[in-house]
Amino acid sequence: MKKGIKSKFSRREFLKSSAGLGAGAALGGLLPSMYSHAAKPDLTMWWWGEQELPGLQKFVNDSIANFSGANINATLQDTAVVISQFQTASAAGGAPDLQYFWNGIYHMESVWMGYARPVNGLVSDEVVSSSTPTVLSQFGGNTYRVGWYPIPMCWYYNKDLFDQAGLDADNPPLTWDELLNACDKLRSKGIEPIGGGIQDGYWGEWYFAHGLAQCIDTTGEAVELMIGERDWRDPKYHEFWVRLEELKALGFLNKDMSSLELYPGIDLIIDGKLAMGESIGTRLPADSKATGGQIGHMVMPVFGSGKMAGVPILDTQGLGISTDSKHPEAAAAFLEYLHTPERLQAFWDMTGWIPSSTNFDTSVVEDPVVRSLWEKFGQGENIPYVGNLAPGLFYEQAIFPTGQEIVQGTLTGEEAGDRSARVAQEWRDFNPDMLEKYQQWGADLS
Amino acid sequence: MAMRKYSKITPLLFVVPLIALLVFVFGYPLVRIFEFSFKMVRGIDGPWIGFRNYELILKQGIFWDSVLHNLQLLLAIPIMVALALLISIVLYERVKGWKLYRVILFLPFVLAVPIISVVVKKMFLFSGPVNQILHWLSLDFLALDWIGSSNVALWTVIMLIIWRESALGIILFLARLLSLDESLLEAATLEGATWWQKVRFVMLPQMKGVIEFFTVISVITMFAAVFAYVFIIGGGRGGPGTSTWVVELYIFSALIRLSLPGIASAAAVLLFLASLCLIFPLFAARRRVKEEELY
Repeated sequence: MKKGIKSKFSRREFLKSSAGLGAGAALGGLLPSMYSHAAKPDLTMWWWGEQELPGLQKFVNDSIANFSGANINATLQDTAVVISQFQTASAAGGAPDLQYFWNGIYHMESVWMGYARPVNGLVSDEVVSSSTPTVLSQFGGNTYRVGWYPIPMCWYYNKDLFDQAGLDADNPPLTWDELLNACDKLRSKGIEPIGGGIQDGYWGEWYFAHGLAQCIDTTGEAVELMIGERDWRDPKYHEFWVRLEELKALGFLNKDMSSLELYPGIDLIIDGKLAMGESIGTRLPADSKATGGQIGHMVMPVFGSGKMAGVPILDTQGLGISTDSKHPEAAAAFLEYLHTPERLQAFWDMTGWIPSSTNFDTSVVEDPVVRSLWEKFGQGENIPYVGNLAPGLFYEQAIFPTGQEIVQGTLTGEEAGDRSARVAQEWRDFNPDMLEKYQQWGADLS
Repeated sequence: MAMRKYSKITPLLFVVPLIALLVFVFGYPLVRIFEFSFKMVRGIDGPWIGFRNYELILKQGIFWDSVLHNLQLLLAIPIMVALALLISIVLYERVKGWKLYRVILFLPFVLAVPIISVVVKKMFLFSGPVNQILHWLSLDFLALDWIGSSNVALWTVIMLIIWRESALGIILFLARLLSLDESLLEAATLEGATWWQKVRFVMLPQMKGVIEFFTVISVITMFAAVFAYVFIIGGGRGGPGTSTWVVELYIFSALIRLSLPGIASAAAVLLFLASLCLIFPLFAARRRVKEEELY
């Protein structure tokens, strides 16, 4: 028997048959997936945000796994390279299909260089508008981002410390005089009244956005300051720095503010060591829970006479589609998918924060402090974050050092105006090709 | 067996692949950096603008602040040399446990700069452990805002650099001391030389080369290898204010944060040329060290 088989089925034939069967099996196994890949385009997505909103990675992974319209390869970017990596890749013709965009100038320069597509016309109008990408995503009549998650730019105060100082914890100060009065009372009880941490500079950036908004009537006016059509040396435009100088001179800022970084500074309020300071809404669910509801939110007390003074600030992080994308429709479909009711709920479940959509059912927000924050900053009248209008050079070389030096007491508000004017001029010298677009943007925003 | 005759070019052909690799890895980027420094680059290319980038940089106050801070860092070098000499000579005396001390003293140099910088930053917070100890010792006047004051932050960076970079000096100097001819020291001892006289007239003259070598290495470090220190201590932005900006941070900021590769390239070219001027003394010092070791 063995001999018979051997004679009919030589070693050579056996190997050939095995190879044929193997190839057939492999091909059979591959065909369905090849079909699947042919049917679904491959997309790349570069994103950021896990750094400020833990849980976002989980949401991204889950959304990619459940999205049937494309195979998406997502990469979480480092904070330092979110802008430069995208611009370099775009210039080299290798940009991702989907890109995370910070608001304002942080994606508008990419728009001006032709690296980003308008999302209107690709993504449904309903999704674009309900995602509240803010006016800072618009240029030349187009919108370049779909909102992903909102960031209410609020101030925190510690209700327990307010009670100890005999202040009304349900009614935080609304005006500058009320703020100074509250600071005085807090200090008289041995409580550090206001501040945070500015060692890494971000506190100064937030202060700039809160303060400048009170000095201008439109966001376009901030752009005009950058392009030289208005002058930072005009006292009206650096008054907010003078107010910070006043807080320093009166001894109301916490003593270790210069050596602490932003988040450890906010933690002082949570820990009951500091009464008031800047924060962001995304922190509130956790902070409110940690303190048993002892954290209140407020808008920066009003000193300025600009039309935006006293109005809550809402920033929105977003996603856009690159000009390089070979499958913009599939990319748009993914952005729409992120805004389906099921995904909006998944976003809340996985991050503990509200997605950027007016369609999101906020009744799931159980914490009354968080709900009131959203009603005030998200659903009520709000203004965009004017810090997003500051070009990178101004941000790095004017805003950051100015805030730090005023808090140290080595720079006055008036000198801050001089520095701002000088650095804005340097930005114009370094970026002559951007100036015209910036002027057009300013006109759009005015 | 007669050896085959090769032309003079033949040996060169063997090193061509390596030279080609070096040209590709170092030469090409260098040429591109020089090219970019004359362009207004957006993304990966841009129009030719001559010396405009250099003009803009040299007119900018923050660039000169950065250069000044690099020069201030040079003040650390005499301290590093003196400290490393003192410690290496003490170790050379074979104090009890000197081998263990040698390892401990070299440890900072083995640890990554970002790691030690983060730890030091925590220690030197205004309300941190260093100031708490100073208050406990009633030395309140020394409890400064080490990383939060523009007048102090660069000195905090200098202290950190001295602590870490001196470790290399200790090891280099100790290695040289261990290779000295001990009979000279024994003769000096028999002649009744004091400890200081032995150091001054026997040890130091023989260590001249290695001291020069360490000095030149340190100068190059202060100009072109302090980014990690200032990035961490300065909160990533050269702060407080502009007090810890150095040229490396200026280049990083222009390239990564401001998306201005042309400006970054021009500043890099200036730094490269400055470093190049220091390379020749380095080579000369290395040659002297080798010569000393031969005798």
